[in-house]
Amino acid sequence: MDCRILFSGATFLALSACTSQILHAAEPATIDPNSVVAGLQKVDFGTQVQPLLTRFGCNAGGCHGKASGQNGFKLSLFGFDTSFDYEAIVEEARGRRIFGSAADNSLLILKATGKVPHGGGKRLDPGSEPYEILCSWITQGAPASAPDAPRVVKISIEPRELVMQPGAKTQLKIVAQYSNGATRDVTGQTQYDSNMGPVAGVSPEGWVECCGQSGEAAIMARYMGQVAVFRALVPHGQSLAAIPNFNTDHYIDRLCAEKWKKLGLLPSPLADDATIIRRTTVDLCGRLPTPDEVRAYLTNSSPDKREKLVDRLLASPDYPAFFAMRWGTILRNSQLAGSDRAAYAFHNWIKDFIARNKPYDEFVRGIVAAAGEWQDAPAINWYWQMRDDQLHQVTADTAQVFLGIRLQCARCHHHPYERWGQEDYYGLAGFFTRLGRKSFGEPPPYFSAPRVTLGDINPLTKKSPEPKYLDGEYPKFSSEQDPRHALVDWMSAPENPFFSTVLVNRLWGHFFGRGLVDQVDDMRETNPPTNPELLDAMAKDFAQHKFDMKHILRQMALSQAYALSSLPTEQNHSDTQNFARFYSRRLIAEVLHDAVDQAAGTKSTFGGMASDARAIDLPHEGFGSYFLETFDRPKRVTGCECERSAGATLAQVLLLSNSDEIENKLANGEGRVARLIKEKLTDEQAIEELYLAALGRLPTPEELGKSVIYVAGGPNRQQSLEDVLWSLLNSKEFLFNH
Amino acid sequence: MLELTSNSANNTVRTCDGLSRRNFLSIGSLAVGGLTLADVLRAKASAAESTGSSLGDTAVILLWLAGGPSHIDMYDLKPNAPAEFRGEFHEISTNVPGIRISEHLPLQAAIMDKLSVVRSATHTNAGHGMGAQWMLTGYQPTIEVNDNIYPSVGSVASKLRGPNAPGLPAYVNLPNKHNLGKAAYLGASYNPFAPESDPNSDGFNVRNLKLPGRVSVDRLGRRRELLNSVDTIRRDIDTRGDIAGIDKFYRDALEMVTSDKALRAFDIHREDPRLREKYGRNDLGQSCLLARRLVEAGVTFVTIQAGGGWDTHGDNFAQLKNNLLPKYDRAVASLAADLADRGIDRKVLIMTMGEFGRTPRINPTAGRDHWPGAMSVLYSGGGLKMGQMIGTTDSKAEYPATKPYSPGCVLSTMYHVLGIDRTHVFHDQANRPLPVLSEGRPIEELI
Repeated sequence: MDCRILFSGATFLALSACTSQILHAAEPATIDPNSVVAGLQKVDFGTQVQPLLTRFGCNAGGCHGKASGQNGFKLSLFGFDTSFDYEAIVEEARGRRIFGSAADNSLLILKATGKVPHGGGKRLDPGSEPYEILCSWITQGAPASAPDAPRVVKISIEPRELVMQPGAKTQLKIVAQYSNGATRDVTGQTQYDSNMGPVAGVSPEGWVECCGQSGEAAIMARYMGQVAVFRALVPHGQSLAAIPNFNTDHYIDRLCAEKWKKLGLLPSPLADDATIIRRTTVDLCGRLPTPDEVRAYLTNSSPDKREKLVDRLLASPDYPAFFAMRWGTILRNSQLAGSDRAAYAFHNWIKDFIARNKPYDEFVRGIVAAAGEWQDAPAINWYWQMRDDQLHQVTADTAQVFLGIRLQCARCHHHPYERWGQEDYYGLAGFFTRLGRKSFGEPPPYFSAPRVTLGDINPLTKKSPEPKYLDGEYPKFSSEQDPRHALVDWMSAPENPFFSTVLVNRLWGHFFGRGLVDQVDDMRETNPPTNPELLDAMAKDFAQHKFDMKHILRQMALSQAYALSSLPTEQNHSDTQNFARFYSRRLIAEVLHDAVDQAAGTKSTFGGMASDARAIDLPHEGFGSYFLETFDRPKRVTGCECERSAGATLAQVLLLSNSDEIENKLANGEGRVARLIKEKLTDEQAIEELYLAALGRLPTPEELGKSVIYVAGGPNRQQSLEDVLWSLLNSKEFLFNH
Repeated sequence: MLELTSNSANNTVRTCDGLSRRNFLSIGSLAVGGLTLADVLRAKASAAESTGSSLGDTAVILLWLAGGPSHIDMYDLKPNAPAEFRGEFHEISTNVPGIRISEHLPLQAAIMDKLSVVRSATHTNAGHGMGAQWMLTGYQPTIEVNDNIYPSVGSVASKLRGPNAPGLPAYVNLPNKHNLGKAAYLGASYNPFAPESDPNSDGFNVRNLKLPGRVSVDRLGRRRELLNSVDTIRRDIDTRGDIAGIDKFYRDALEMVTSDKALRAFDIHREDPRLREKYGRNDLGQSCLLARRLVEAGVTFVTIQAGGGWDTHGDNFAQLKNNLLPKYDRAVASLAADLADRGIDRKVLIMTMGEFGRTPRINPTAGRDHWPGAMSVLYSGGGLKMGQMIGTTDSKAEYPATKPYSPGCVLSTMYHVLGIDRTHVFHDQANRPLPVLSEGRPIEELI
C-alpha cells in the first residue's frame, strides 16, 4: 500500500483555540497541541484560518494563489499576505463568501465541501476539525486578526535528520515562532512534501515512512510562508565503523567518509595514475595531458607527485584560460550589440584576475560594482548584456551567480519553496536603482548616479525599491556613496552564509560532476546539500583563507575523494548523490573540441584570434563553429550554470564518426599520424603514441596486439593508423572525463 | 484493486478526466509497497484498452509557436468584447459554415474543413520555460531549468514508436534542436536529431549523412570492427544515460550513412520550386515542407520552431499581421493541403500550439502579455475529425466557458493518433514510476 494512504487514518489534534490569547502574551510559551477545544474560543484568522487555506491547497499556484486568481477569487500564494486574504474572503464579492448567521451556508464552506460546483472539487469534510474551525470563525463574525497580531517569523522541525531503515516511521513536529516571541505547535496545519517519494513518503499529518528504496529524501514542511526540512537517510547497507583503505587525514575526505559510514556506502578504490593525470588536467586546465606529461607522471615515483602536478597545472596559463571561459559563460560575456571589443576586454580581465589569483571577493566587487568606461572597467559588459531588463536581470543574476539564490520568483510573489518574498527581492534590487549609463558608446560607460535612475517600482511600497540586505536591515546611503560597494561588503563578510557556500558548491560541481547542492546555484533550505558538514567546512576554509581560489581548488583536486575510480562497485552502484565513486561526464564542448585537435595533432582557426587560439581561449560565444554548437556550447544568455545543457545526440555521433571535419584532421599532412610516419616509428610505437595522445595512457597488451594486427593487415599504413586514431576518438573513454 | 482516492489536501489540480497528479503518484508508489509494477501496468493497460489505438505508421508534425501565440487574434476573436480586449482584427468566414477566424488567416479559412481548433485549452503557468515544458511534456515542472525535466512528446514517440522506416531518425527538430525537446529520464538515445541549418537557405545541407570522401564502405566496416574491439570501457561509469544513448546512435549512424535514404529525405532541393514557393520561402514554410519529406520517408515525429517569436508584448497587431501570421497561415495551409493531395493526411497529424495564449486585455504598448488561462490548439489530419471549433471561452477569451482541456488532454489526443498508451509507465533517475501522461484523456470531439 501507498504510505500516503496508509497514514490517512492517523489523526492529529493540533489546533489550539487558546492560541490567540497566548500569542499576545509577553512571554514565550509553548502549547500542548492535544488540548483542543475548537469552537469555544475565539478563532484567529491569521494563525488558524489562513493556514488551512494553505493546507487544503486553496492558495496554491495552480488554484486561487496564482497571479490571476481562479474564477474571480484570488488569494496570496501560500498565504504570504494575511490582510490581502482577509479582504478577499470577507470583503470582496460583497461579502457573499461568508454568511455569519448560518456559517455552513457560506459560499466559502459550500465550495470547499463540494456542495456547490467547485473547480477544485471537494477539499474539506463536513464535521472535520478544520471545518469546525472555519465555521466557528464565521459564526464569531469573521473577525480580522488584530493589526499588531504576531507574525510567524520562523518554523522549526523535529527531528531534523534521521537514519532510518526501510519501513521505519517517524512523526515530525513543527513549531512556529512568532514575532512576539511566542511559539506554537503547528504540526497539524503544516503542509508537507517529499522530494523523493520512493525513499520516504509523508502524510498530510507529518508522518514519515520509508518506502523501501535506499538513498536520501528531503521532506519540506511549509507553514505561513516559512519552510523547514527534515532529511531521512535510508542506508545502502549496515552502517560502518570505518572506511578501509581510505585516508581521512584531509577534512574533505574525513567528512565524505563520515557520510559513507552513516549510509553504509563503500567507495570505489582509487583510480590509477594515468586516470588521475587526465582527470586533473581536464578539470584544472580544460585540456588533455600531452604524451610527454603522461609518461613523466607514470614514471615518477615521488610520493608528492600529485601535489606537484596540481601546483604545476595551477601555475600554467591554461588554468586561467579555462576558468575565464567557465566564468565568462555565466557572467554572460557576449559580443551582442556591438560589444565585441568589450567582450575581449572582459575576458582578459577575468583571465588576469585568475592568473594573479586575486581574492574572489575582489573579483566579485570588480563585477558587481563595475563603473567607468569599458576600456578601464571591462566588467561593465556584464551590466550591458542585461540592459534590456536592467534592474531585474542584474538583481536576479547577482542573487543566483554570487549568492546561489534563485530569487527571481520573488519578483512577483513569495518564493514558493523558500522564505524569500517580494520585500527581499526588491531589497536586493534597491542596491542597483542608482545605476547610471551614458548615452554613447557600445557598451556605454556606467556609473553610480547620485539619485535613482531606473524607473522600476516596488509593488509593495509603490515607490522605487529601497536597498535592504537579505535577512537584514535597510541601510541608508548618501548621494556620493555607491550602494553596490556596501552590497559587496555585506556579501563578502566572513559571516555571510551564501557567498562562500555557493562558490565552493559551484567548484565542487565542477570537479565532482554534481554539486553538494544540486543544481549548483539553487541553494535553499528546501533543497538541502547531501553533505552539509562538508559544504560548511569548505565554505569556512575558503573564507578563512581570504577567498583564495587556488587554495580551495587545491583542496578539492588533491582530496582522495576526487581520486576515486569511476568504476562502480557492488556496494556503491546505486549511489548518485554521495560521491562514493567518481561521476564520469562527457567532456564539455570547448574541451572536447580542443581534445580532438590535441589527439590529432592539428590546429583549428578562429577568425580574428591568434593562430594558436583554442576553443577554450575564445572570449565570447560569437565564433561560429558547428562542432561547438553540436556539443552544446552555451549561448551565454543566462547566469545559470544549467545553460550548458547535456545529453548525447545523433548529430554528435555523426560528427565524430562520419564527418569531413574529423577526416581532415586525421589525414592532415602536419597531423599526428603523418608525423609518426615521418619519424619512422614502428607500428607498436606509433600506436602507443596515439593511445597516449588520445586517452592519456598506454594501451594494454591486448589492445596493442589488436591494433598492431589491424595496421599490419591493412592496405595502407597511413590510413590504418588514421583508423586506429579514429577508433580512439570515437571511444567513450576519449569522450568522457572518467 | 487500485485505490485512487487521495487525501483531498494539498494542491492537486483536477482535470478533464477527474484524476489528479497526486492520484497517479499514488498508483506509482503502490508498486513499491507490495504490488509489482507488472500488476500496475496490467491494470492500467486494461483500463486503457477502450481508447487505445494501434496505428503503426502514423506521424506527427508539431509547429511549436514559441513565445505564446495570441489566441484572441487568431482563432478566438471576440468582436463584441470591449475595445481594450478585442483588438484590431476582424473575423472572416471559412469554408465551414458558422466557423469564423481571423482575417489574417485567409488561406486556412479556405481549408477549414481540413482543420480543427480547440479554443478551450488551458493551464495555469505563465512562465515561458515552465509553460512550454508543461505543453511539451504534459508535466508541470517545479523549477525553471534550461532542459526539460520530463520527456518531451517527441522523445516519448521516439522511445515507444521508433522510426517508421529504418535508416531514419525517429524524432527530428527543425531547423535547430529545441532546448525543451529532449528525452530527460528516457535517456539520451531519444534526443532529437536536428540539421542546425535553415532549409530555406540555398546552402541547406544536413551534415555528415554521407560517407566522407576518403572513407569507403569497406573502410568504415573495418573501422567499426576495430572500434568495437577497443571501446571497452564499462558502460556503468556513466550516471546520466549518455553512454547508452551514444551506443545507440552509433548503430543509427551506421544505418543512415550506408544507405542514402536519410540524405535523400533531407534534400529539400529535390522539391519542385513552385511547391517550395507555395509553402513560403522562409524558414517556417521550408521547415514544413521538409517535415513532410521526412515523415514520408519514415520519421515519426517532427517539431518545428521557426518563423519568428510569438512573444508579442509590444506592437502585437503589427507583428502579427505583417510578419507572423502571413508566414504561419501559408505554411500550415500548404502543408495540410499537400498532405491531403498525397493521400497521407489521415496518417499524419499536424498540430500547432505555443506555451500559452496572450492576455486578452491589450497593454499600454499595444501588446499582449502571457496568458495561460485560455489558448487555441490547432489539429489537422491524423484521422481526427476535422472542420470543428471545439470548446468556447468566455466573452473576453480569458477562460474556457465550456470544455476546458488541460495540457494532458491536448497531448493525449496526439498520443492517441500515434497509438501510444498514455498510461505506459517510465521510471525516472530516482526510479519513480511516471506514466507518459499524469492526467488527461483524448479530446472526445476529435476522435
